Amino acid sequence: MSASFNLIENRELHETLYHYRFFPGLDLYVLPRPDYQKKYAVFSARFGSIDNRFRVEPDPQVTELPDGIAHFLEHKLFEDERGNVFDRFATLGASPNAYTSFTQTSYLFSCTANFEQSLEHLLDFVQEPYFTEETVRKEQGIIGQEIKMYEDHPHWQVFFNLLAGLYRKHPVRNDIAGTTESIARVTPDLLYRCYSTFYHPSNMALFIIGDLDPGQVGSRVEANLEKRGYTAMGEIVRLFPDEPEDINRERSIKELVVSEPIVFVGFKDNRAKYFNGKDLMRREILMELLLDILFGSSEPFYNDLYREDLIDENFGAEYTAEVNYGYTMVGGETRDPDQLYEKIMEGIKKIKAAGITREQFERHRRKILGGYIRRFNSLEFIANNFLAYRFREADLFELPAILQQVKKEEAMELIEENLDYKRHAVSMVVPPEDS
Amino acid sequence: MQVEYNEHYLPNGIRLIFIPTTKFKTITMGLFLHQELRRELAAMNALLPAVLEQGSRLYPDKLRLQRELERLYGADMYADILKTGERHIPAFTFESAHDKYLGESGKLLKQDMFVLGSIVGDPLIENGGFKKEYVSREKNQLIKEIKALLNEKGAYAYERCMSLMCKNEKFGTYKLGRIEDYDNIDSAGLYSYYRDIFTHNPIDFYVVGDLEIGQVLEEAAEAFSFSRNGEPKTLAGAKIDYPVKEVQYIEEEMSVNQAKMILGLRTYTSYRDNDYSALLVYNGVLGAFPHSKLFMKVREEAGLAYNVHSRLERHKGLMIISAGINYDDKQQVQDIIEQQLDDMKSGNITDQELENTKKGLINSLLSQQDSPTQLVSFHLNGAIGGKVYSPDQLIAEIEAVDREAIRKVAEKVTLDTVYILRPREGGSEQ
Repeated sequence: MSASFNLIENRELHETLYHYRFFPGLDLYVLPRPDYQKKYAVFSARFGSIDNRFRVEPDPQVTELPDGIAHFLEHKLFEDERGNVFDRFATLGASPNAYTSFTQTSYLFSCTANFEQSLEHLLDFVQEPYFTEETVRKEQGIIGQEIKMYEDHPHWQVFFNLLAGLYRKHPVRNDIAGTTESIARVTPDLLYRCYSTFYHPSNMALFIIGDLDPGQVGSRVEANLEKRGYTAMGEIVRLFPDEPEDINRERSIKELVVSEPIVFVGFKDNRAKYFNGKDLMRREILMELLLDILFGSSEPFYNDLYREDLIDENFGAEYTAEVNYGYTMVGGETRDPDQLYEKIMEGIKKIKAAGITREQFERHRRKILGGYIRRFNSLEFIANNFLAYRFREADLFELPAILQQVKKEEAMELIEENLDYKRHAVSMVVPPEDS
Repeated sequence: MQVEYNEHYLPNGIRLIFIPTTKFKTITMGLFLHQELRRELAAMNALLPAVLEQGSRLYPDKLRLQRELERLYGADMYADILKTGERHIPAFTFESAHDKYLGESGKLLKQDMFVLGSIVGDPLIENGGFKKEYVSREKNQLIKEIKALLNEKGAYAYERCMSLMCKNEKFGTYKLGRIEDYDNIDSAGLYSYYRDIFTHNPIDFYVVGDLEIGQVLEEAAEAFSFSRNGEPKTLAGAKIDYPVKEVQYIEEEMSVNQAKMILGLRTYTSYRDNDYSALLVYNGVLGAFPHSKLFMKVREEAGLAYNVHSRLERHKGLMIISAGINYDDKQQVQDIIEQQLDDMKSGNITDQELENTKKGLINSLLSQQDSPTQLVSFHLNGAIGGKVYSPDQLIAEIEAVDREAIRKVAEKVTLDTVYILRPREGGSEQ
């Protein structure tokens, strides 16, 4: 093959990853997993719901996109000129799927037979767009139902209301599927424009895992790309509004039919945008440790609140960091959202004053390491997470090494910086008064 | 690679099923206490795993238990109640990373089993019962969980349909029981109930991983050394032969944006029956896959739903069709669904639908072998259904299903209940 190739070995996990780069810039990763029945492939474009303004070097012309178009495009690629993409996968006995997040769109399949043809089909349907006025109109109806489904979903509502509370301008505050109004503005022409930019191979990556020969897989992918006559493309410049440091609104309350109120407290991380790659991963690991020490089920905070009937087993905390935004969220279902909110803020204040112990830090470090190894049973976990990290220039396989390096003192600094009272917002879903 | 299920019995009668495999990075265990699903026992069965996982004599509260699990490299222990067919099973799963990825030398199996044995066999007892505080707290949590079913509209509609359709059958019991049943449970009574079923009812204990059978048996016999003297009990299978006199139509209202339509059907075929594989293919052609009739007709052709599928309750012999729709489209959706059921009966199935379905089913059966918990579930279903298939045997049966076998299944499939959860009149309040 004419492509560049390198091999990445991970001794702790007993894994060997093969990496190829093909003209005009597609990265392919193959991880052999002998003994597994299943083979899994995921083909991702770095195009998510937040990418709603862009231009392509050297053209100064800026394109603005309606909210929800990345997700809309995901739906529409499942249709090609010959009909439904599902049909062909079904004939091969493979199981396809796709999803769109804030930052990427992924197309995938798993199979236990006919791998080569299934891979060929994945590469073909993703690289052969077909949109017409009529199919776009029909999809507006289907996605309309999907949006409605989410409107009835209490946790989804709490989540997006909190993001809209934390962010004033950044598109992370918008629902991934958009709104009924925004998707009404989607046209075939706009879909083609998104497609030719964000689905250029240099903005995509492919991860394949299973009982496979990497060399053979590599040749297939290369041959598939070569027949399409790609040319190099200028750099995509994603344009994001200048997000102010302060939050948009402190409190969001929505009435929905729920048995108990739900409350989430969020903290805006204004500094995440200064980090990338390894450093961003380090920040993420530190935050995971920190949140586990603060709110995990082996610590007094959780156990006290559980005893006081303020939380249930689903109470939890999570930190998310991407190259240009970041936030922490803590919460769950509760009989008394105001009191739980107070307790969370109090808990953070207390730990800022008292600090964390070496014993705590080491115990949680050990827990996260074991949890990470356990997840490597899942081919889907490895493939999906590898690409998500890859798009922010980090490497999933480096996680254990970084986890071993991080220090308690760094975590303490992050509490001050990242769980800042001045950058917090709260979102609640409460039952309607008449029910 | 052929999956091996090696059956052994511990001295106290617990059945140990060992699945040796080198492909996972974990040690996985599952312990299942078989019990019948019955209305009057449901709340107690649901409460047992919840109370037991709060702590044992040696790890008397959650904080200490969780810290022990953290010491075992963040091992995950999960206690839950399963409802499948007319069985109601307190279940405990335990998973830790395997030693070989941690630079430890084979000690984790012993320590993992010790913790699990402590939780199920050596609970925290005070005054002849479970710790009162834990019982009352977990009652309260489960009551909240019953109420929380409301939050997931699809799951809520499904459970409403099942309870209305099977109101005079054991299966109509919700897996967490009824709120009022919790009033009468006290910690001493609950403990003596636990002693009783723990002694007499069948217990299946699964161990999956890169381990030696000799060591597994030795450690298990030590960690699960408690005595279980008494007559072993045999449990009945689900009763499936309830006739349908006339189709029930039920609509209920809620402040929601989207209507949920649930169709409950009786297939009169259960897991152990010879035509079970034909039922799997029937359900696959109708609605289990994206290539199935329901998805193609309701979603892809008519654009009337984002979500539409059918699934089986394999031990009870039920098939459930679900769709999230605009309420105004309900007649149109129901007509399309009924047309598909008629097509199944008249054998209006293309070669492609049949072939694709078989391939899809086989793909999903083989894929299950890549997950330790799914390997366990596959065997457990055999234990519950009274017929243990090997994956290869079931695959061979699926391959052999022909149109005639599907038609015979289709003849039996009978619509029983149509349930619709619809938005409150005048639209939603938002």
